[in-house]
Amino acid sequence: MLDDHLIGVLSNMGMISFIALSAYLVLVVGEISFGQQAFFAISAYASGIASAMWGWPFLGAVLWGAAIAGLAGLLLAIPTLRIRGLYFAIATLAFAEMVRLALEIFTYRVEVDGELVGPDGSEGFRDIRYIYEADISAGAFLLVILALLAVTLGAILWIERTRLGAVMRMVGEDPVLARLQGVNVNLTKIATVAAAGLIAGIGGALYAHLNTYVEPKIFNVMLGVHGLAYGLIGGLGTAFGPLLGVALDIGVLESTRAFSGYRMIVFGGLVAVLLIVRPRGLLDEAAVYRIRRFLLRKDAGD
Amino acid sequence: MLELRNLSKHFGGVRAVDDLSLTVNQGEIFGLIGPNGSGKSTTVNLVCGVFPTTSGAVLFEGRDITDAPSHRVVAAGIARTFQNIRLFGDLTVWQNLWVAQNSAEERSKGWFGRWLGGDRTGRGDAEELLKFAGLELRSGELARNLAFGEQRRLEMARALAARPKLLLLDEPAAGMNAEEVSQLATRIRALRKYGMTILLVEHVMELVMGVTDRIAVLNFGQKIAEGTPAEIRDDPAVRTAYLGTADA
Ligand SMILES: Nc1ncnc2c1ncn2[C@@H]1O[C@H](COP(=O)(O)OP(=O)(O)O)[C@@H](O)[C@H]1O
Ligand SMILES: [Mg+2]
Repeated sequence: MLDDHLIGVLSNMGMISFIALSAYLVLVVGEISFGQQAFFAISAYASGIASAMWGWPFLGAVLWGAAIAGLAGLLLAIPTLRIRGLYFAIATLAFAEMVRLALEIFTYRVEVDGELVGPDGSEGFRDIRYIYEADISAGAFLLVILALLAVTLGAILWIERTRLGAVMRMVGEDPVLARLQGVNVNLTKIATVAAAGLIAGIGGALYAHLNTYVEPKIFNVMLGVHGLAYGLIGGLGTAFGPLLGVALDIGVLESTRAFSGYRMIVFGGLVAVLLIVRPRGLLDEAAVYRIRRFLLRKDAGD
Repeated sequence: MLELRNLSKHFGGVRAVDDLSLTVNQGEIFGLIGPNGSGKSTTVNLVCGVFPTTSGAVLFEGRDITDAPSHRVVAAGIARTFQNIRLFGDLTVWQNLWVAQNSAEERSKGWFGRWLGGDRTGRGDAEELLKFAGLELRSGELARNLAFGEQRRLEMARALAARPKLLLLDEPAAGMNAEEVSQLATRIRALRKYGMTILLVEHVMELVMGVTDRIAVLNFGQKIAEGTPAEIRDDPAVRTAYLGTADA
């Protein structure tokens, strides 16, 4: 059996992968978001409210949280539609900070079984106890995380094979040309940012339930910056890229303790070097293309 | 089929296109020529909604499409190529054609059928275009890895993938050698047989004179002459503007 430390690390990697995939989708359509942590936060709170205060079942609470985060993504995308590049990046950052500050004062408490539960401003949101009350072990919860991650990854990989996936890459590579192929660029970006919000939201809901406790300061900009960096390190050619980034950072740097203390330096250095030598990450479009060719050739040879 | 009415585009003080009116008829190959910087590409960009017009109107099949967003222009039946080749380098040759498919039939498929249809939909069309462009053997290659001439052919095939009624070709022969230019002329004539209307923006004289029905000449954004290739060849104003000397 897996030991507790390993279960903890893998759970952590799984949850962070949702933020990484979320930031990745926005990168694919050619924008940079420093604010995906906001969707993670919104869903952590919304799903916690659903399960701990309204008595919803766990899966319902996760879907609810993700849906609210997706809606928030839609609300962010529509006004920021007209701004591009640096301005979009700054707008996402401002949005995320606004969400965090709003959570600092957000208070909504009800009595459940004789005790007050609910978000209590900067004190945070305690007692999101669903998985403990339902007696779900850490190992079983890891399986839940991995199952949801597999579904999400599968959905993205499938979309990437459709014309919609190609259109997303077109919008990222050359929006003017994409428009001239009949693509509604604005709509594509709005839909992508909303979907990215939803995906970050799944991670946030899982996080709230595993930890039973969330507070606004967890969702600071460093969480978003990491999520962004995973795609840039692992590669933007395939949805496996951001997962590779997560595995390298949390799996190798943080968890082996090989670089303990120097982790942030090694991580920052890695990002800097990669941005210079491989601006679209390890698994960039060209690498993915070569790998795919190689696999197809092997298939044909069998 | 395409009508420009008093079309103007100013960039700051530069009158890139200045009060230009012209009509391209159904089934015609219409040449638009002029010295470098005379406003040819700007005209194409205005038709395609790449940037807003300063004044004037663009009509297509009688409908006003002035300043319509590019994706609407494509849906109306206009496709183009670029003077500086523009392809999606990270997509394969095949994908470049596949994503450009924009026929009425494609658009009527509904959202799911069209966008989530995987790469099986519309295969027949793309195969045919690959053959037309002589790229059948390159279909799985990334567009960025193609040779220059192949990229030009792919661009044209991509424009055709939209099944346009009107094709705008912006200097399709730029950078081509004589043999490639003659192959291009053959392709353009083949398209005419299918009933395609073409606005050919060009610099290379043999091509324009050889394939067009009518020609308009631009200089400093203004139309200085219009007529058949023979008339244009003998027009003194054209000689002055275009060849830079009155007695050339
Ligand atoms: N986007 C732009 N911004 C500013 N000036 C432009 C732009 N596009 C074209 N121009 C100017 O407009 C004039 C016409 O350019 P263009 O249409 O490209 O000419 P042509 O295609 O005939 O060579 C030139 O003086 C050019 O510098
Ligand atoms: Mg030009």
